[in-house]
Amino acid sequence: MSSAPPPIVHTRRLVKAFEGGRLRALDGVDLDVLPGEFVAIMGPSGCGKSTLLNMIAALDRPDEGDVVVAGHDLRRRRQLDHFRARDIGLVFQLDNLLPGLTVRENVEVPMYGQGRSGRERRSRAMELLAFVGIEGRAASRPPQLSGGERQRVAIARALANGPGIVLADEPTGRLDSATSARVLDLLESLRREQGVTVIVVTHDPAVASRADRVIRMLDGRIVEDASRVVTPLAVAADPAG
Amino acid sequence: MGFAHLVLRNLLRARVRSGLTLIGISLGITTIVALGVITAGFKSTAGAFVRSGGADFMVAQEGAADMSFSTIPEAAIPQIEAVAGVESVRGGLFHFTRVGSNPFFLVLGVLPGDLFEAGPPLVEGRYLASDSPAEIVLGAQAAAALGVTVGDEVVIDERAFEVVGIVDSEVLWEQSGALAPLATVQDITNRREAVSVVHVSVVAGADPEAVARRIEDQVAGVVSIVTADDIGKVDSGFQILDAANAAISGLAIVIGGIGVMNTMVMSIFERTREIGVLRAVGWSGGRVLRMILIEALMLCLAAAAVGSVVGLLAVQAVMRVPAVRGLLEPSYESGVFVQAFLVAIGVALIGAVYPAIRATRLTPMEALRYE
Repeated sequence: MSSAPPPIVHTRRLVKAFEGGRLRALDGVDLDVLPGEFVAIMGPSGCGKSTLLNMIAALDRPDEGDVVVAGHDLRRRRQLDHFRARDIGLVFQLDNLLPGLTVRENVEVPMYGQGRSGRERRSRAMELLAFVGIEGRAASRPPQLSGGERQRVAIARALANGPGIVLADEPTGRLDSATSARVLDLLESLRREQGVTVIVVTHDPAVASRADRVIRMLDGRIVEDASRVVTPLAVAADPAG
Repeated sequence: MGFAHLVLRNLLRARVRSGLTLIGISLGITTIVALGVITAGFKSTAGAFVRSGGADFMVAQEGAADMSFSTIPEAAIPQIEAVAGVESVRGGLFHFTRVGSNPFFLVLGVLPGDLFEAGPPLVEGRYLASDSPAEIVLGAQAAAALGVTVGDEVVIDERAFEVVGIVDSEVLWEQSGALAPLATVQDITNRREAVSVVHVSVVAGADPEAVARRIEDQVAGVVSIVTADDIGKVDSGFQILDAANAAISGLAIVIGGIGVMNTMVMSIFERTREIGVLRAVGWSGGRVLRMILIEALMLCLAAAAVGSVVGLLAVQAVMRVPAVRGLLEPSYESGVFVQAFLVAIGVALIGAVYPAIRATRLTPMEALRYE
């Protein structure tokens, strides 16, 4: 019998409240995500899905509960910069690229302070831009790109330091269906070819249809957790099925 | 792309704002450099006068508000000469007056005999005769400016003087002025039996500073000027220049600091979401702080460079004024430029600290939510 790999994302009784405690964005969320899973988190606006993503990304701290990502206890750890740089890659709904820098320079930004020389940063950025199929626009500025191109640059930036987890908040929210499909192909290929864990927050059923597992949230709680595809890692976690 | 390149890109994104801030700071730096070069030049020129004729130091009236107002009775000169270690003394009486286009033309009253001992080298003619009150010896620069030569007549304070010699002095005030009989200058200035300063040469092997201290101890009412910095003891103009320089530097730091702070605060407010992105992709607060401080430093050091160049051009312009040209030679001491760059660094730090701290205190989420 093979042993189950430990979850790469683990939350227990996660609580986050806003407006002086009146609004509980997360109300006791328990979630385990295994390495290599493609998870879609769905739910109506305000259900807490982006807040959950922010907790996993260490962009915000929970009020209560535990959150352990890639072996880091995010509630107890004070310095989270290194974790954000090395262990996770973030893709925002609005690509949030720096408009004053070129596409290549945007991809280089997370690599500062990570021990790479300028030459290494440039080479890695070009490699990632080739992976997302946009190396020909390396010298362009973000405002010169289409929405889909910008989102592909954002994915390349998210992969800069080779993270084990990519977190995407509505990555196709402002894209047409054909462009969305290309972005989703990229996220799928990350999981398939590089074994990267992908967690996507989305309203879009087309995104959810690509995921191995769809989690539905309502009022700060997980109300449904369904695996669509049995991944090899999921089999390893639960060989009895 | 290096870190400095990234910082430079940030500055160049708001070219007009960065440019206007740079101009504002560089105006302050221009003033510091121009005033610094002129002050240093004035001191250096005065310092050269202290050692005029190979003297080791100079003695003036204690507490005089201005060197030209210094008055030492001629009776004190033998007392100074009698002090141990003094080899020779030469009295001189200042009279600044308008001659030609120069409003600060120095007529230095000297004993004619002293010129033969320690006068500046003659290029033409001869020194003053001991019994001719209406003779004058001109500095080469003064002769050129007035367009006169030996044998010509120069009118000073409505008195006609015959130019009997032209000297080439290393002392600018002598080069752009004139040497006249002491008694005549005493008569013109109505300061009979008095001189302004006494130049002192010490015997071989004696310590000039020790001799200078002895003179101050033994002769009442005089003060010794051994270096150019000592001139402040008898010339409040020097102290005023130094004070003005310090005040302008202080003002430049405060005003420039506020300008830089305004620029950096605006820039950081506009880029709050971008700073959130940088934090979200793993930049530490320290790295963001460094980015902002280096932006401000780059801006201010560029302003220091521009201000220094404009300051030098301003000095060149000022030196075209004949009155100034006869009064001082600009002195481009490295300390002036070091001061300008230190002020620029001070401006950068004062201006950038608040916005930098504010930026680093924002959590990534606060910054990303900023509209």
